[in-house]
Amino acid sequence: MITTCRLTKPGGALKNSMCGISGVVSHNEISSRLIDSIKSLEYRGYDSCGVAILNGKSKTIVRKDIGSVDEVRESVQLDDLQGFTGIAHTRWATHGGVTRENAHPHSSCDGKFSITHNGIISNYTTLRAKLKKKGHTFLSATDTEVIVHLIEDYFKETGSVEEALLLAVKELEGAYAVALVTPHEPDKIYCARMESPLIIGLGDDANYIGSDFNAFIAYTKNAIVMEDNEYAIVTHNGYSLKNITTRKEISRPIQRILWDHKMAQKGGYPHYMLKEIHEQPSVVHSALDIDQQQIDDLASEIDRKKQVVLTGVGTTFYVTQLGQYYFSEYAGFTPNLVSSDEFKFLSKVDKDTIVLATSQSGETYDTLSALKYAKQNGATTAAIVNVMGSSMARLVDHLVLQGSGPEICVISTKAALSQMILLARLALSVGLLRENITKRQYSTYQSQLRKLPDIIDKVVNEKSGFIHNVAKEQSHIRHWLFLGRGRYYPVARESALKMKEVAYVHAEGMPSGFLKHGTIALIDDDLNSVIFMPTEQEKELYELALSSAEEIKARDGYVLGITFESKKARELPFTDCISLPQAPPLIAPFVELIAAQLLSYYTATTLKRNIDKPRALAKSVTVA
Amino acid sequence: MKALVLAGGRGANMVPFCTTRPKPLIPVAGEYVIDHTLRLLQSAGITTINMVVGHKGDVLKERIDKDRFGDMNIHFIDQGKSGGIGAAALSAKKWFSPDESFMMVYSDTLTTSNIFSVTYQAHCLNNGPSAAVSHAKSSENYGNVYLGKEARITKIVEKPDKNEGLANYVLSGIFVVGYSLFDYLEKNDTNMEKALATMIAKEKVQAAIWENDWLDLARPWDILSANKAIMDTWSTAKIHESVKLQGASVKGPVRIAKGAEISSGAVLEGPSYIGPGSFIGHNALIRPYTSIGAGSVIGQSVEMKNCVLFPKVIVGRMCFIGDSVVGENVDIGAGVMTINHTMDNGEISVRINKKKTESGLTKLGAFIGDNAIIGASNTIESGAIIDAGIKIDHNLSVNKTGRSVKK
Repeated sequence: MITTCRLTKPGGALKNSMCGISGVVSHNEISSRLIDSIKSLEYRGYDSCGVAILNGKSKTIVRKDIGSVDEVRESVQLDDLQGFTGIAHTRWATHGGVTRENAHPHSSCDGKFSITHNGIISNYTTLRAKLKKKGHTFLSATDTEVIVHLIEDYFKETGSVEEALLLAVKELEGAYAVALVTPHEPDKIYCARMESPLIIGLGDDANYIGSDFNAFIAYTKNAIVMEDNEYAIVTHNGYSLKNITTRKEISRPIQRILWDHKMAQKGGYPHYMLKEIHEQPSVVHSALDIDQQQIDDLASEIDRKKQVVLTGVGTTFYVTQLGQYYFSEYAGFTPNLVSSDEFKFLSKVDKDTIVLATSQSGETYDTLSALKYAKQNGATTAAIVNVMGSSMARLVDHLVLQGSGPEICVISTKAALSQMILLARLALSVGLLRENITKRQYSTYQSQLRKLPDIIDKVVNEKSGFIHNVAKEQSHIRHWLFLGRGRYYPVARESALKMKEVAYVHAEGMPSGFLKHGTIALIDDDLNSVIFMPTEQEKELYELALSSAEEIKARDGYVLGITFESKKARELPFTDCISLPQAPPLIAPFVELIAAQLLSYYTATTLKRNIDKPRALAKSVTVA
Repeated sequence: MKALVLAGGRGANMVPFCTTRPKPLIPVAGEYVIDHTLRLLQSAGITTINMVVGHKGDVLKERIDKDRFGDMNIHFIDQGKSGGIGAAALSAKKWFSPDESFMMVYSDTLTTSNIFSVTYQAHCLNNGPSAAVSHAKSSENYGNVYLGKEARITKIVEKPDKNEGLANYVLSGIFVVGYSLFDYLEKNDTNMEKALATMIAKEKVQAAIWENDWLDLARPWDILSANKAIMDTWSTAKIHESVKLQGASVKGPVRIAKGAEISSGAVLEGPSYIGPGSFIGHNALIRPYTSIGAGSVIGQSVEMKNCVLFPKVIVGRMCFIGDSVVGENVDIGAGVMTINHTMDNGEISVRINKKKTESGLTKLGAFIGDNAIIGASNTIESGAIIDAGIKIDHNLSVNKTGRSVKK
């Protein structure tokens, strides 16, 4: 049994690294403002945080830990801090696990320089090796720490903080927004930017820096937006902005912010849910970029076991159910599927079993309990998880980090899709191992997966208006049936759950085969049906789904068809029809899921629901 | 930030009202569209306005409510008679400085809440141009945009073919742009669509996704939907202290302005609006979504529903006016009936500039131009357009084109 947890970097998360940095410099006490600033940036990442503060003495006080700002506030008594100059950071891990050591700020060997950083230094391994040779001790596994040691080195050479910062950043490749404090110049914050956002805020008794306006919007509405290849020296009563290459002073007009900071966090989208739906093309890229070796390792582990159990709860149950269909089709066997809240009452597991769970937060109580139970009974455990450093990530024998970036909306969209993609990749790998699919088929499937981001992009762009209109027109309906056959059945259930969660509209997802076994009695004016049509290639499924639609139409029921554009002009028995860009069967369910996400979203906005925080729901259900 | 309000268009499809007034001077829920726009701009913190006027520009200048917007600095630029919206924008070039971003507003769209502040915020987010985008009932009349990462606009498809099945977000006609827009206009022969496409190709344009109501006043029945959308945001009744309404009954969010007089037996159902100084006769029935302009006189036992009356309209006794728009100073004789549906409850078409146009509505009355006089006891066919200033004799039947025949 493998007992070490493998923490490999998730592929795509590197591209959309979040993290937030902030800083305050004043002649008054700043600690509460500093803590507020990272609290307001928490939406950028929330796995760990920390502050570095100067209080006029020769030492910088650094306090940091894993957890949310409120948790860290308690664990290391952030509120006891006092000072006049400080920087802070809230993190969403990309390099290195979630540990106290890896949390920012990072300090130089002599403790005289402390920095926070948002971005990715791509040449950090080279720099790290070089610095180690010179005798620097590294405490963390982050890319950030090289910057502060470089600065320390150059300061020894030049005796100037400004010079040291400039020489250091010139060695960096990649993206950064860096903030630096040092007792050598205790009334200044130095900062520099390349490809990661950085903004200076100009207040009355203090000046500020931040990854975005939210860091200081509560205190000032006057801002200077820094651009790439610029650095700044900020004091309590002024700032100087310069070009990194030419060192020439830059004058830039102050931008006055008439600003709704909640909107800023959502980046132009009215709700996180829509933002996250729109992020799905890049989230799929991230899921596809995850190291094949990692997938293959887990696939071989699955291949070795006599029993495979997939588990999840709520959305992740439907995610794993879709996984079950993929395993059955591509890997050539049907794994068990158990809802994690029922796991103990149903599953018999032993050392010949592998239990594979999915969870966005990695803290879902039911799923965590199921995995613990499996572990106690000698089973191997594996999980697909979005939050690095979460309980589940630490617990399981095999971890796949999905790297979907923080999901803020309580309703899961992008994280669930990413998990589905990863399960599909896993099923393909096992299928190849077991020779259920040929190498050639395997590579065809891989290239089909690569087409998904563009198709999703077309759906969110070209179909959203139509879906919005359907949602508006049908928003009075209080009961929906979501129907699908085959692999479209879990999609129907997941879509029904979306409708329930976000729009508070009763919806049931079921195989359309169930219609004639009772449910059809419900068809009337108050109940709408959605049919997830398979691709025309899936002939048998297609005809089955079609006949279900006809059964409902025959009873004067409303049927919304979610289908693919067809060259064959065919009279389809739908009241309304969302016609999506063509996709091969492997990825077709994902494409239809996007349309259903949008349907629930627009139904909820029409009904003026609390989209990102629906009533009675929480992002991660950590209770029994 | 300054705004550039483009209010010079002809609004040729807004029959029969476009012959006598510019579109921004259409009243909706008791307020001219332009006043509604200025009010929202003001509350978004934008108080310096360069307004390009053209078609019926003098009327527009005269009618803007100077009492309400006295604190705003409004400067008018006359576009003259020629040129489209691009030329209109370009005519304001010298009133902006090269380092200045400004809000560009098409003045014939309407939102129930503040789209300007959202567009402004998107501009702040991007530190560059932004454009409000929304979903329209059908997207083929608009610029369809594609959104990429972080809600950046990546592409624009102008007025796509219906068969392409595009249903994207469309440009809502509210932008924050830089001075560079003028260059793009100059390089593209003052074609606004091309200039915007160039801007999207060359600069990072941030979308501000607008999900609340967005109403484009293109065709006459759009006045009714805009009126309804605004009234739907009303939750309380507001009755000015000077209003006389003894013996009348008021239900729901009815707004009655200064000096109006409601006679006994009248029933007012909200949401509806009664303009200042209006008179409502005995036993009149004012049903929801009715907006009556200032100084109008409504005779006894008149029934009205879902209609917009411009100021100073006279409606004689015992008329039925439903799903209709009535221009300023119109005089409707006693017993006039607007027919607002077909016998088979089908969709009603309207002749717009000699072209049959489907309204998509199953309930639609008449559109009566400013200063028209309609004799007593007339019957007006559903979807009829009656031109401004027309005089129709008593006791006739008026068809869709506004022509009258003997009953």
